[in-house]
Amino acid sequence: MASVLEARCGECVLRSGRVFCDLPAEALEAFDGIKTVALFPRASALFREGNVANGVFVICQGRIKLFLSSESGKRLTLKIAGPGEVLGLSAALSGTPYEATAEALEDATVACVKRGDLVRFLRDHREACLRVVDLLSGDLHTAYGRVCSVGLGRSRRLRALRIQ
Amino acid sequence: MRAEHIFCDLPASALQAFENIKYATAYPKGAVLFVEGQAPRGIFVLCKGRVKLSICATDGKTLIVKIAEPGEVLGLSASVSGKPYELTAETIDPCQVNFVKREDFLRFLKDHSDACFKVAEQLSEKYNNACHEVRSLGLSHSAGEKLAKLLLEWSSKNGEATKQEPRLKLALTHEEIAQMIGTSRETVTRLFADLKKRQIVQAKGSTLVIRNKAALEIMATNS
Repeated sequence: MASVLEARCGECVLRSGRVFCDLPAEALEAFDGIKTVALFPRASALFREGNVANGVFVICQGRIKLFLSSESGKRLTLKIAGPGEVLGLSAALSGTPYEATAEALEDATVACVKRGDLVRFLRDHREACLRVVDLLSGDLHTAYGRVCSVGLGRSRRLRALRIQ
Repeated sequence: MRAEHIFCDLPASALQAFENIKYATAYPKGAVLFVEGQAPRGIFVLCKGRVKLSICATDGKTLIVKIAEPGEVLGLSASVSGKPYELTAETIDPCQVNFVKREDFLRFLKDHSDACFKVAEQLSEKYNNACHEVRSLGLSHSAGEKLAKLLLEWSSKNGEATKQEPRLKLALTHEEIAQMIGTSRETVTRLFADLKKRQIVQAKGSTLVIRNKAALEIMATNS
């Protein structure tokens, strides 16, 4: 599995079509300088809800589950993220704790970047910043979809139950 | 980070560019800025007044996602991604709004990296807010818990947080509060009556005084 992954993003064959990975060469080179590639075994957590957001995680390979949890231990899945997606962005950029827990559904390879490095990188590389805006818009779209299905779908079901 | 001056503290060149592409407009109360499902025309920077952001189910049931305050940019993610507006935006006060056409806005972002970074920050905040909303709708057990959370959240604004008996201005009707926490108007009215009876809150006109914050906090964490 690790064989197709290159230490340098510029040589990665999986890169094309991935919004954040498919950056111009000079930005990728700068990104190589700030990233640390790590392997997260199945069921390990990349970050936990409520923790200080000290970095972002770009998924190279593998699927990661993002979920919210209540005090009583109830869980609500926000989404399943796949290769090319960037996790922890909103928390890192707004300086708030992670809004969800990210847990690997399978062995995953992830490029980790520290918060300060990311902010500097985005300020220096306009193209990367535009991509991040794009990604965040997509994330927000998904989140509103969840608001809709959780908030309205549920009450619709309840109503259907009442009618029966 | 207060988004109050999202584009205001940009470098002079970016500021000038923004001045050139914005249209300053005024809307009366109850005006609709955009409707969920419409193709994005552009962004609306809210300068004055408040705007209700809602999602509508196919059966006509409404869910209020947020009451936007001055400084917030509306229609941002739809304009960036080109997907239809996810929400409906309706003014609840007379509002002053700066409108920027989508193409102009995208060009502005490409040309001004500071503005781009600000937009990323604001999108992050919106995302956090949406997650918060999903949590409150999906993981709260009862309407009482959700109402308690909402009241505590509102009472933590405007420097009231540290007071023993924080006050808050109820700007919304029971119907609208119901739409914010995904319940019925009747339930909200019943819950308020119950809170008053137990002397947890007290109404003084449209101002609500939280008499027993501890009790409200307990309501917000379990039940």
